[in-house]
Amino acid sequence: MSSSSLPAAPSHPSRRAATAADRAAVNPLDRGYALLGVLLIAPTVLIFCAVIIYPLVSALYLSLFSIFTPTLAGSFVGLRNYAELAGSPEFWRSLLNNLIWTVLTLTLQVVLGVLAALMLNQAILFRSLARSLILFPYFVSTVVAVLVWRWLFNDLYGILNHTMMWAGILDMPLDWLGAMPNAMVSVVLVGAWKYFPFVVIAVLARLQTIPEQLYEAATIDGAGAWGRFWDVTLPQLRDVLVVVILLRAIWDFKEFDLIYLLTGGGPIIGTQTLPLMVYKEAFGMNEMGRASAVAVAMMLVMLVFMLVYFRVLKARGEEPR
Amino acid sequence: MSDRIMTGVGRRAVLGGTMALGLGAPMVARAQAPVQLRWWSPQTAPAQREAYMFQIRTFEEANPGVRVAFEATSDEGYPAQMAAAFASGQVPSVVTHLPSFALATYWQNGLLEPMNDVINAVGPQNYYDGANRIYEITQGQYCGTGIGNSAANMMWLRRDLMQAAGVTDVPRTWDQLRDACRRMQRGGVFGAPLPYGRNSMTSLIFICFVHGAGGSIFTPDLQVNVENDAFRNALEFYKSMRELCPPGATGYSWGDSLTAFVSGATATGIYTGRVLANVAAQNPRIADHISCHRYPTISAQVPHWTFNDFPSVMIPRQAQNMAVVKRFAAHLFRPDGYIRQLHAAPGHVLPVLKTISAMPQYQENALINKYRAAVDLMSESAAAGHNLGWETTRHRPNVHAGRIIASHVLSEAVQRYVINNEPMTQVVSVTATRLAELMRA
Repeated sequence: MSSSSLPAAPSHPSRRAATAADRAAVNPLDRGYALLGVLLIAPTVLIFCAVIIYPLVSALYLSLFSIFTPTLAGSFVGLRNYAELAGSPEFWRSLLNNLIWTVLTLTLQVVLGVLAALMLNQAILFRSLARSLILFPYFVSTVVAVLVWRWLFNDLYGILNHTMMWAGILDMPLDWLGAMPNAMVSVVLVGAWKYFPFVVIAVLARLQTIPEQLYEAATIDGAGAWGRFWDVTLPQLRDVLVVVILLRAIWDFKEFDLIYLLTGGGPIIGTQTLPLMVYKEAFGMNEMGRASAVAVAMMLVMLVFMLVYFRVLKARGEEPR
Repeated sequence: MSDRIMTGVGRRAVLGGTMALGLGAPMVARAQAPVQLRWWSPQTAPAQREAYMFQIRTFEEANPGVRVAFEATSDEGYPAQMAAAFASGQVPSVVTHLPSFALATYWQNGLLEPMNDVINAVGPQNYYDGANRIYEITQGQYCGTGIGNSAANMMWLRRDLMQAAGVTDVPRTWDQLRDACRRMQRGGVFGAPLPYGRNSMTSLIFICFVHGAGGSIFTPDLQVNVENDAFRNALEFYKSMRELCPPGATGYSWGDSLTAFVSGATATGIYTGRVLANVAAQNPRIADHISCHRYPTISAQVPHWTFNDFPSVMIPRQAQNMAVVKRFAAHLFRPDGYIRQLHAAPGHVLPVLKTISAMPQYQENALINKYRAAVDLMSESAAAGHNLGWETTRHRPNVHAGRIIASHVLSEAVQRYVINNEPMTQVVSVTATRLAELMRA
């Protein structure tokens, strides 16, 4: 084989850059293209800085101050806000609540979502109607959804208590939102109800693209319904579930309105999560600096999630998405 | 170091520059645009809104070129909304019906315009004596002015249920109240709708019970005053009433507590005169069976203590068109509009102007006439009322009161003892520590 047929050795990056720069220096057209490239990418960079970098740096900066929210007047306190958080039982309890809420509601959402998607993928009566209706909780405003659920949970007029008492399950109305662990259970259930349609949408879309031949082959090999689900469906769903779980974990972790409107974080701080604590510190206690410190702590926890996620993917030999 | 931090200045400067560059020309072109005022209030029942619209209309007619927009806030939400408004500089022009202790905090931080001009325009001689005293935090300057009085912890009774249960006398003491509630609690009706939620109502109502036990949250010179028998007795009684309240009372706030009594789910109520309008509109079946009384105390020797949140009018210092704003604030007291506002919820917001109380137009209201004794009692009680910002006439104004309520320290104390069954000593000790921290902050 002659040397001329060998593939060209990859050029060194610095050499490539130098060559491009040389070309730009000598060729006005290349220089124009380079400038155009910078101009075209500039809006993206500016928007990225405005919506990502600036708030991030602001939060970090504010967390080093003690700031009275209404006036934004304050003084530099260094890491004192963080030290106070580290020693605050309320912070750790809120973090624990946040993790409990996220894990439980996410698990329910995924289980319910996959089950509903499997059902809607079958040739059932009124399938189109069912597919439309099942999305309803996801599209309805959180405020409206919470108002409806608060009425369902109501001790005096709520249908939930009435039904359970009528069925003989309860003797007295149950305090669904004002006592623990009922409050956390209620919040988790409502969260799962509100957001499981997102899982349905994603999983159903994937289910419709799984080749029928795979199921036929599995059936020929003697796989039953469970076997087909476990060995065909689930592996095919893995990619979409990873993305769905990641997105929903992020969204659930920073969920505010649903929990705030349902329980306000009570009883005591039984359902108070970190976003509620940020709100309370910033606008209840008017401590914007401490609120920023909690927000930064939230960000760090999310970062840990992300790192774990990337590590798991790397261990499986996959690229992070 | 206690100066304005650079982020605030920098951000404003950048925004200001952008506005000047990008919007300068159109702003010149819009120089003749109408003056726009924004009016915020947490009192937003439909009838009240109608009255506000009347007041806005008459002001706009008298002041061509001025437009007023009404925007609703809420009792639980206003601290956040006001904080955001002040921080962003996008403040409302006038805010009404916030409790007086909220104003004290804002005043302390230089966020409010003195209301002396408005009070002078309304006529200081027209107010009830001492009506504006609570707003005089700085000598000679008023951080707000009253737009009404309220008696928020009146006891409402169902006389028909009392009769059916064989309760002959109106309870005067806690023991009598508990006994009456116990006897009336049957057939799906609970004894009382006391709030046990983690919210401002629980804090504010519990303060009434501490005073009802002969105590106070702070001493007159504002030292924490909860590690004593009065506070413990209040907690103990509050806990003993739990079994006489609906299960969902652990989440009750103002609306829930009111609805519980009005709907007939409880035999007693604790609220302002809004009960009258709501019963008339929503449950007229019980309208002839309700009566209003001062809330019992631990013993007949301990005097009644009325919680008056002193619904106010305030003007943020950053408000634009200050002269027009002050004119509008004074306009709110013009009899035709003010009386409509008061009639929107008779007995709920009581007049602060004695000239209005005396007017036949005010007196000629079906509900006020029907419940004359109740309205008179509420007016009398509210006139002698106090709140956490000014616990008794001996107390100094407490500018931290708003922050204490927003922190939920007191409602959490109730929840810890009543719901979580934590030991009294621990609850009281933690509450004292947290109150002291809040006062120091």
